[in-house]
Amino acid sequence: MIASIFTVLPQPRQVSPINLRRLALTTLQTLDGDYDLSETIFKDPNDPAWGQLQVALSACLPPNIVYNLTVYEVLGGTTQLYTPIKSISNAENLGVGTDSSSYLVASSNVTFNVIPEKIGEHEGGGTLYILNCSDTNGWWITGYTAQSLAEDLYRLLSPYFQATIMVQNTTELGQLLNGTALQNETLQNAVVINTFGEAVPIPAGYYASTDVGYDASQNSYAQYCHTLGRRVREYNWTWISIVGYPLYYVSNAGLFPNEQNTWGIYGMRCVGPAGLNAFLRGLDDQAYSYDSNGITGSPGVVYLSSDALEYCNYYGIYPSPYHTATRALPSSITSTYHLNVTTYVFDRVGNWTPGAVYRHQFPSDSNFTGALFALGLTRTPDIRLTTLGILGDYKPRLYPSEYTAAGTSRLVVLQFGQIGGV
Amino acid sequence: MTGTTIDHLVAVIVFLGAILLFISLFNQTIQTAITYQRHRYLATKCSDLLDDILLNPGYPTDWGKLNVTPTSFGLQDPEFTEYRLSPFSLMRLQSLTGTPFTYPRTGATYSNMSMGFGNFLFVPYTEAINYSMASQLLGTNNTYGFQLTITPIITVSISETHAANPLTLTIRVTGTGFPLSNALVSYCFLKVAEKGGQKNPSYTSLFNTTYTDNEGLAVATMPNVDADNAYAFIAYAHMSGLVGIGYYERATGYEEYVLPLIDSFEEKQVLLVHSYNVHDFSPPESSVFFNATFVLLTEDFTLREMPMENSTGKLGMVVYGQGTEKQYATLTIPTYNPGILIVTYESNNEYGVVLMPWGISSMAFPVSFGNDLSGREWVATDTRQVMVNNVVYQAKLALWTLEGYQVTS
Repeated sequence: MIASIFTVLPQPRQVSPINLRRLALTTLQTLDGDYDLSETIFKDPNDPAWGQLQVALSACLPPNIVYNLTVYEVLGGTTQLYTPIKSISNAENLGVGTDSSSYLVASSNVTFNVIPEKIGEHEGGGTLYILNCSDTNGWWITGYTAQSLAEDLYRLLSPYFQATIMVQNTTELGQLLNGTALQNETLQNAVVINTFGEAVPIPAGYYASTDVGYDASQNSYAQYCHTLGRRVREYNWTWISIVGYPLYYVSNAGLFPNEQNTWGIYGMRCVGPAGLNAFLRGLDDQAYSYDSNGITGSPGVVYLSSDALEYCNYYGIYPSPYHTATRALPSSITSTYHLNVTTYVFDRVGNWTPGAVYRHQFPSDSNFTGALFALGLTRTPDIRLTTLGILGDYKPRLYPSEYTAAGTSRLVVLQFGQIGGV
Repeated sequence: MTGTTIDHLVAVIVFLGAILLFISLFNQTIQTAITYQRHRYLATKCSDLLDDILLNPGYPTDWGKLNVTPTSFGLQDPEFTEYRLSPFSLMRLQSLTGTPFTYPRTGATYSNMSMGFGNFLFVPYTEAINYSMASQLLGTNNTYGFQLTITPIITVSISETHAANPLTLTIRVTGTGFPLSNALVSYCFLKVAEKGGQKNPSYTSLFNTTYTDNEGLAVATMPNVDADNAYAFIAYAHMSGLVGIGYYERATGYEEYVLPLIDSFEEKQVLLVHSYNVHDFSPPESSVFFNATFVLLTEDFTLREMPMENSTGKLGMVVYGQGTEKQYATLTIPTYNPGILIVTYESNNEYGVVLMPWGISSMAFPVSFGNDLSGREWVATDTRQVMVNNVVYQAKLALWTLEGYQVTS
């Protein structure tokens, strides 16, 4: 008797209950499956849509479930936080055992903003140069013009940089190589995107002169690429080649009016593999020597790395997850030229690296000095990959804007009760 | 002295009796309390297991579209979050209720999820996930038994109210015992054009929308339809996030027709076979000619026909016999978007239409998977509302323990 008095056993309903909280949550999610719930609860309380919501709610619940759905206005500031707007129910009371779920809904009129962190905000630099030279022709950018690519890159990347400068001609490029800013921007630690594919703009004058840009003994402009590599190291630039074999041609319509790249594109001259070799020697502060041996390979179909896929989701950039690489760089350049890979855009295939950011670092130096980001893919270029590689390497954070403005959010509380049984 | 001794004896006996009575009562209460606790634990386990199944896509995440055996079991649609289930993973569950059959031409046995004549879904056992495997992957084998049922919440039933010219169809849309008034109904009407002779049938299609009245009823009227015309009618009802599907077919012959059998999810291949091979009618009869098409539900809740190239095998013929003629045809569905495969057929001047969902939700087929729960001592259940490609279902899990305990009374 004493035991019976003091041992209170639960009611059968409590022993094996339906999880009303989960049922309420999934009901709300179902009703908002195509945003009908979100739309309805921002309508006038007398709108017929509320009636439809009640019909839908009644229609989708088991007969033994009673409900109360209440919508609250979410207010900010010092006023009351939640103000009831409307309540619909199919019972006077919900019995003794009830449970509820809540669902926060934002108005479709609300615009969410994401404010990106600026590259260079803390560590200095943060300038993006996009080569948009009107006196240069591109190669392996088939289907695009360098100018259209430059515009798209500007749109995609300028929010992430302190300053974005379009380099409009080779004269301005020469000015930059001389160490002179174009618009009082910070030259050091900048990112330079070459939108001309396998061709690189070459300024006339000093940078095309003998022993600076021109190798008279080889009748080649590979020495310009060496000078370019040196400048990249000196200014700690990140030089970006968006497609194909980097620095395979030099281009300046005024400098080479009668020369063509052997494929009929005038204003351009072939440098061949010697261009990249010279650039890497310049980047590593090695003396110039002419080396025309090709170093790239063709691993075929390559896949985005797991890091790159993660950045796709973070930055909302979704290129195809696989591409064809026919100009992938060999792993051996990292030891030959003191390069560290800081970001793999694509997974490596054997000894080939189809797309990666290589940062130069002297063995005795703790700092990086210059970088090359090369996408050794076949034409045509996908600038989303370029964007992904840059953002993945610098990793600027995204700050979602808050949306606590009055009238933009409403809270829906759905409370369920069970009828019948004990 | 003697009296004192007797008093002591009586006192000890009474005391022992009281102790035994107390222990007996207490023991009974404790046993009941323990059983209650076990039942309570079973209910919690049921809720957890249901969430495990519904909130996890399994591995590989898109196993529903592949011919692989998953190494982790889950039914969530990998392209979504929350309680949205993959229409293809659900198709791969071996049906608990349908009678399986073996197709003698290939020797394959099929799980039968069909919903009556003309609304077929057969999945080969080699592609279907059985209860034993799911139980093993969930870690419940030898400890718990379960039964999972996924049932559409909205019922769309269609009936003929006037058989011919004009054909009038009444569409009734209801929830769980409650009519869905003012719901948008989008429908597709497909009539078989009778050609006669040994030819592939052609068809005409009509797409339109209407609304239900206060009683959840809508009427669709089709001109130029005779009482002996074969047709199929598919209706989607939509209101406040709830979507339901109904279908109705009329054939002029019910013995010789084509049956669609899923052959490969990965290759999106379906075998179309002669009905005689399945039902073993006798004597052998004539070839069945067919013409297939595919319709899907668009994001604005209207139906749209998706053109199929001839290379998909949309036109063809199947025979019953063992000769050199083709005994079954292979058809490739052009997409992984859920939709309905519609196969019009003609044989010996008999016409008809058969439907097969591509993605379980396209025809709101229910799913019943797991073990039989009859005769179990205690069964805990829990439910969730889920969406399968926008179609609203109720998922219910029944769970019982296999470890054996019982209430003593």
